[in-house]
Formats: sequence, C-alpha cells, structure tokens
Amino acid sequence: MATDPAPAQRDRFRPLARPRRPVRLALLVLLSAGLAVYAWVVAGAAPFSRGALIGVIIPGAVLGTIALARPPERIPPPDKLDMTGMSYWVICLAAFFEWEASAWRDSSWPWHPSFTNLIDPLLAPHLIESAAILVWLLAGWALVRR
Amino acid sequence: MPPIPTRAITIIGFAVLAAAMVALEILARRPGSRIPTVGEWLGYLMRPKLGRFLVLAGWWWLGWHYFAR
Repeated sequence: MATDPAPAQRDRFRPLARPRRPVRLALLVLLSAGLAVYAWVVAGAAPFSRGALIGVIIPGAVLGTIALARPPERIPPPDKLDMTGMSYWVICLAAFFEWEASAWRDSSWPWHPSFTNLIDPLLAPHLIESAAILVWLLAGWALVRR
Repeated sequence: MPPIPTRAITIIGFAVLAAAMVALEILARRPGSRIPTVGEWLGYLMRPKLGRFLVLAGWWWLGWHYFAR
C-alpha cells in the first residue's frame, strides 16, 4: 500500500525550521545581550582608533553578507508611493540637507554648527553612545529585512 | 529685545525639522494615511539592487561617521 511520506517528513522537519517558543525567546534574549555588550565595547573605543573602525566594519560586513548571500524573509515593499504623501518627506529631507550643507560650507562651528557638531557632545557619555550604537545595529537589521 | 544669535537659529532649524519628521511618521501610521512611513519609502527605494546597496551603504556611513570618528 502506498503511503504519503510528506506529513511524516513535515513533522520531522518542523522543529528545525521553526524553533519552539521558549527556545526562540532564549535565543532572542541571548542575541539582545550580545548586541548590547558589543555596543558597550565599541562605544568604549577611542575616536579614530583601529578598534572603533573595526567596531563598525564588522556589523557592516555581517549585514552586507546576510543581505547578499542569505537574506531573511523581506517585508514586502509597497508597489507605488503616493506622490503627495511622499512630497512631505522630500521637503523635510531637502530642508534638512540644505541646512546641514550650509552649516558645513559655512564651517564656523560656534555660530552655525552642523548636525554632527550638535550630536557629538550628546553622544559623549558612554551609556548614550552605547544605546545609539545599539539603535544603529537594530536599524541595520531592519533595513536588511526591507 | 536682544538679537537671536545665529547658533540658536541653527539649532531651532534642526529641531523644527526633526520634529516635523517625527510628526510625519506619526501621521503616516494612522489608518488610511496617504503619507508613507519611513520603512515603506525606504523599502520602496530598496526594490532595485542598486537602491538596496545605496541605502545599506548610507546606514553604514552613518555608523562610521558618528561612532568611528
């Protein structure tokens, strides 16, 4: 009598394809802790040092490799954008870049600071910089999923 | 009234633009909104491979600019 091996195979492979909930939760906690530690270590590297450079090269290489070689299931992008709705974003972004470019061109930090001039002192505390690096890492993962 | 220094004007400009972008994202998340969320328009830009490469390169550049320099 012919039997259908498909259901048996599905049952056998299901745990491998999708870990059970406690396992997934444990993996998530472990991964989050690992990322937080990584962010803390990178934030401790001195500016312009080799450690700081390697600290940003590694996530770029890892996410670039994942995006190219083994991309995760992507969130489907919209087929088209509403031009009116998008124009609000374009206006804000264009104004931001114009404001930044004028500060950069002016090159007079105390009177016309660039966005970077303003952000750098805010990132000075170790905890804040670690949090910012963690946000950057998560944003990179969110982009790979898009 | 004393004149507002250019430094304050610059900071106010950045703050207004940042607030406008946060407001746009909030408006975009309302049901039926015609405004796309950041994720939606970035996803749209990342449909072609070149767009995907450029957006990821921009993300990496931000990390280098703020955390390695």
